[in-house]
Amino acid sequence: MPGSGKSDDRRLGFKVSQEVVVVAISVMLFVVFSATLNNFLSQGNIIAILKNVSILGTLAVGMGFVVVGRGIDLTMVAVMVVGVAFSIWISTWGIDFTLAVICGAVLVAAIGLFTGVMVAIAEVPPIFATLAIASSVYGSGRIVFASDVLYAPPNIAWLKFVGNGSVFGIPMSVVIFGAVAALMGLFLRKTRFGRLVYATGDNPNAARTTGLPTRPIIVTQYVISALIAFTAGIIMTGLVTGIDTRLYNSSLIYDVLLVVVLGGIGLSGGQGGVRNVIAGTILVGILTNGMTILNFSYTSQNLIKSVILLSALAIDAIINPRDEQTSQSGDI
Amino acid sequence: MKIFKKCLFAGLAALALMGAAQVASAQETDQVGRAPYLESLKGKKVIFVPISQGMDLNQAWVMVWQRHAARYGFSLEVRDPNGDTNAGIRAMQGAIAEKPDLIIVQNPDVQTYARLLKQAQAAGIKVLQVNMQSATQTDSYVGNDWIEMGRLEMGELAKHCTGPNAVSHKVVWLAGVQTGAANIYMRTGIDEVLKANPELQLVSDQPADYISEKARQITETVLQQHPDLCGIMGIWDNAEVGAGAAVVAAGKQDQVTIVTNGAGAATGCESIKNGLLDVIFNFNAPIQGEIAAQQISELLQHPDRKAGSEKTIFFGPITRVDKTNATGRNCWKPEDIK
Repeated sequence: MPGSGKSDDRRLGFKVSQEVVVVAISVMLFVVFSATLNNFLSQGNIIAILKNVSILGTLAVGMGFVVVGRGIDLTMVAVMVVGVAFSIWISTWGIDFTLAVICGAVLVAAIGLFTGVMVAIAEVPPIFATLAIASSVYGSGRIVFASDVLYAPPNIAWLKFVGNGSVFGIPMSVVIFGAVAALMGLFLRKTRFGRLVYATGDNPNAARTTGLPTRPIIVTQYVISALIAFTAGIIMTGLVTGIDTRLYNSSLIYDVLLVVVLGGIGLSGGQGGVRNVIAGTILVGILTNGMTILNFSYTSQNLIKSVILLSALAIDAIINPRDEQTSQSGDI
Repeated sequence: MKIFKKCLFAGLAALALMGAAQVASAQETDQVGRAPYLESLKGKKVIFVPISQGMDLNQAWVMVWQRHAARYGFSLEVRDPNGDTNAGIRAMQGAIAEKPDLIIVQNPDVQTYARLLKQAQAAGIKVLQVNMQSATQTDSYVGNDWIEMGRLEMGELAKHCTGPNAVSHKVVWLAGVQTGAANIYMRTGIDEVLKANPELQLVSDQPADYISEKARQITETVLQQHPDLCGIMGIWDNAEVGAGAAVVAAGKQDQVTIVTNGAGAATGCESIKNGLLDVIFNFNAPIQGEIAAQQISELLQHPDRKAGSEKTIFFGPITRVDKTNATGRNCWKPEDIK
C-alpha cells in the first residue's frame, strides 16, 4: 500500500515506522522547547518555523517523488538556482519578468526532460546522471551569468506577494509549500499515474514486464521534480529579492535528501509518500529553530543535528530490522 | 661694431635655444626610471587564486588588474576554485609548481593556505594577499582593516542602540564563515565596542554563510524571540538583504537598524534605496584593486628582493554609505570600470 513501509510490527498492534519515530522525536523536541524557551510556542514562531522550512520542504516533495520511483535527483538545487537566475538574466534585456519566469520554467522543464531521458532511455544510473547534469547545469549558468547573486527587478507585484503576502495569516511561501505537497499527495495516492510510480519504484523490471510504460513515467518524474525545484527558487526570490547561485555549493541538496530519507522514504523506492516528507521537514525545522533561539554555535548545531538524525535512523534500524525483501531490493 | 654685437647676441641666443630644445627632447624620450619600470613588468607572470570570481569585489579587482596587465604587458591568470576549498588547494599547488613571478591570493580562511603560502615564499615566489588574510604573513596584504570594520559596524549600532531613546539594547551579529579572516578580526573589533558599551546586549551570534536566505531565516527566528530588537550587523551586503527582507516582512524597518559592509557595487545602493539595508561600510573594490595593482608593480619591479624579505600592509579606504550618499562612486557598476 502506498504511504506505508513494508514490514509490520504485529506485537505492538500498529506499525512503528521510521515516520512514527521521526514524529515522536519532533513532538518530544517541541515539548522540550516549548517548556524551556520563551516565545517558542507563540503563533509568530510557529509560522516562522514553517516559513523557514518552506523551501527545503518544497524541494523535498520533488525529491521524494523521484525517490519513490527508485530514482534520485541531485540536479534540483542546480536547476533551482540556474532556472531562476536565467529568468532574472533575460529580464534584464527588457523582457517582462512574468514572461521571463515562464521562459525559465520552459528551460527547467527541458533540463528535467533531458535528465529523464538520460535515466530512463540511456539507462545511466540516476545518481551519476543527475550528479553530472547538476554540475553541467550549474557550470553553464556560472559562465553565462558572471555574478553569483542576481537580483529580481523591483516592483513586481506578484513576486512581492510571494515573499511578503499571506492568506488567512499564513505566509504565501508556506501556502505554496502546502499546495505543492497536497497536489503531490493526491497525485501519488489518487491517480493511476501515481500508482504506476509506486509500481515502477517497487520493482522496475516487473513493472516493465507487466507492460507498464516505465520509461515515460520516469521521464515525467524528472520533469516534475525540476519544475518543483523552480517553484522553490521562485519562493526564495520572493523572500530575499534575489537568488544566490552559490547555494549549489552548499549542503542544501543533501539536506533535501536527508529530509526525504529521514521521513521514511527508502532509497530502494516504492514506499513512503508526502506525509513522510512533511514529517522529516518539520523535525529539521523545529530543531533548527530551537538551536537558533538557543544561539548555539555553528559547530555544535551541526553536531546536534547529525546526532539526532543519526539516532532517528538507528532507532528505525532496531525497530524495523532489514528483512529478506529489503535486502534483495537493495539501497542506492 | 654695434651690428657685430647684435649678431653675436643673436647667435648666442640661437645656440642657447637649440641646446635647450635638445635637453627638452632628451627628457621626452627618457622619462627618468620609465624604461626600467616597463622592462621589469613586461612578460612577467601573475596568477590569482580567488575564493570565487562570482562575487562583485572579485570582478572589480580582476577588471582593474587585467587593464593593468594589458597596459604593461604582463600576464594575469585567474584560477577560480569557485568556492571549493579543495579545488583552491589544488589551484595553489599548481600555481606554486609553475613558479610565476607573483601569486595573488584571497584566502577562504586563515589556515587552509597557511603552509602553501610558506612553501611559495620558500620557492622564491612573491605573494600578495587581498582582502582575506592567511595566518602566514607574506610580501604584501591589500584589503580591509577588519578589526576597524567590526568596530565601525558595532559602533554604528552602539549609536542607535544605547541611550534613552533606543528601542532596546539588543543587537545581532550575523557572521559569515567563522574561520574566515574577516570574521575572526571583525569579532575583535565588535568585542572592543561591546566592552566599551556594556549596556549593549548581543542576543544572537550566528553565521549566515554569506547566503541571504540563511540570513533571512536567522533574522526571522531572532525577531520572534526579541520583538524589540534594535540592530543587526553583518558581513556582506548581498547576504544581509535577507536580514532586511525578514525585518521588512515583520514591518519593523523603522525599528531595526541594519548595518553591513560591501564592495560598493550598485546592487548595495539599490538595497539601501529599497529599505532592506540602512548603512553599508563600503570598501570600494575598484579602489582596492588599484592599490593592489600598485603593489603588483612594486613587487614585480624588485626581482632582486627575496620573497618574504619585506612585509607590507595596505588598508583601503572605507566610506560610510547610507540613503544620503548612495550615489556616484559609492555605487559602481562593472561597466563603469571597463
